[in-house]
Amino acid sequence: MRFEVGPAGDLGLRLMFAASPAPALTHKLLSIQKAAQQQFANSLTDSVVGYSTLTLFYRPLTLERNRATEWLMEQAEAASSFDIDPASRDEIIVLPVLYHPSVAPDLEWIADSKSLSIDAIINLHCGADYFAYATGFAPGFCYLGEIPQQLATPRLGAPRPLVPAGAVAIADRQTAVYPCESPGGWRLIGSCPTTLFSLNSAPAARLSVGDTVRFQPVSEADYQSLRNAL
Amino acid sequence: MRALALLRAGIASTVQDTGRPGRLQEGIPPAGAMDWLALKSGQFRLGHREDEAALEFAYGELQARPTHECTIVVTGAPVNLSIDGEPVDPETVHTVPPGGLIAASASTSGVYSYLHVGGGIDTTPCLGSRSTSPREGIGGLNGGYLRNGDTLPLGDQNQPEVAADPGLIRARERDVLLLRFVPGFQFGALPSHTQRSLQEQTFWVTSKGNRMGITMKGLPLKTKIQTLLSEATCQGAIQIPADGNPIVLLNDRQTVGGYPKAGAVITGDCQRLAQSRPGQRVRFAEISPEEADSVRWLEHHYTETKLQLGQR
Repeated sequence: MRFEVGPAGDLGLRLMFAASPAPALTHKLLSIQKAAQQQFANSLTDSVVGYSTLTLFYRPLTLERNRATEWLMEQAEAASSFDIDPASRDEIIVLPVLYHPSVAPDLEWIADSKSLSIDAIINLHCGADYFAYATGFAPGFCYLGEIPQQLATPRLGAPRPLVPAGAVAIADRQTAVYPCESPGGWRLIGSCPTTLFSLNSAPAARLSVGDTVRFQPVSEADYQSLRNAL
Repeated sequence: MRALALLRAGIASTVQDTGRPGRLQEGIPPAGAMDWLALKSGQFRLGHREDEAALEFAYGELQARPTHECTIVVTGAPVNLSIDGEPVDPETVHTVPPGGLIAASASTSGVYSYLHVGGGIDTTPCLGSRSTSPREGIGGLNGGYLRNGDTLPLGDQNQPEVAADPGLIRARERDVLLLRFVPGFQFGALPSHTQRSLQEQTFWVTSKGNRMGITMKGLPLKTKIQTLLSEATCQGAIQIPADGNPIVLLNDRQTVGGYPKAGAVITGDCQRLAQSRPGQRVRFAEISPEEADSVRWLEHHYTETKLQLGQR
């Protein structure tokens, strides 16, 4: 697999694989991230796994950049770090979702434009397990993929100024839950009553890169009681 | 309880310290003072520890009253400062009587100023820092911008070591601000005329700027790159959206993004950019990571020397 290592500003190093996103690639990036956290324990402030990248950030003047670059290239070449951690593969995080036009302003529009019933949309969205490829955009926001081709929908032309917390959304082949109220351009097809980001939890974000997520439809009554339980 | 009442909270005012690195993977930006040398110089002059917080405010408008006697100093963008109506030098440590009126009025250069109060601003730390990220609603006082009528808790005031060193880091007006950047990310994939255009022309700072980033304008930069897979951003990242106007990402940036990036402005120049007002002319200049290290080392050395000299 082709890759490149280069700077990310004056305090960062970036490893990028020239490959399409895939769970195996993400696991490889996660394993290099873990090794880097040990190898450069005294230098690293942060490290971020993206779809095909790992970016390391270090404290000023603490890292021998050439040595770290070589180390990253060795890691990238090593095939042994490709193993998927069996523990992470087994657990599936199930998120309840209410799919109803009252909480999903784009649901009927998508049904109309794709000539699908709302039930068919629910079955498609709940029928697949999703892999967590990246986090970001907002605290706890997690990019999940891929949704069935039949559901793929482009983003809104202009983002909504306010998307409510818990909104379940799709854009192209991706899906996500907005953990907190924020602006957003993805299409809203449901609402999830589970708290996905809380400063009182450790870690603060419920989902992290490498997780597997499944959505499960719930009735309006169950949705309300789950919300009230928070 | 020692506290500071904000009669006029001013513009884009927040509680800031050195920020909360280590949370990017959770989507939480590093936050922290936009001008970290200004923060550091105030902390030093009040004998504070490095993790104590100050009040960051933009364009110099602020009025506040402490409940108890306290020492203050204002750093960063220069302001016209008065205590109970009496004009005083902002960069000198002053003692304010209980209920005394601290008033700052519009400055003429720079953007962010810092009011440091003896004992530090003692809002509850969140994820290891008192810094506010208003977009995320994290830290500071209830996670947001400060408002008229807010009251900030203050820490216990230790005996301050008064070591005034005016002129350590005053925002200076510059004709054209040089933004040195380390090329990276998609720089190699940009058309060569775009790589040249980025460095040959002079851009100016637009009014589209805040703690997340600052938009520049000039001749539009064409990237010929479609949307990318989301990846980590970094401090100073030069992001080029479809309209061709580069955005330099700063402390409260989104932690990942999918726009093409030409590289990143070195962190030392980021704080000078943060202190630049709309209309400021800027130029980008490529440097190697090794050159960036030597800039960093010199700045570090300069600061430490200044601080040590000031301590005597």
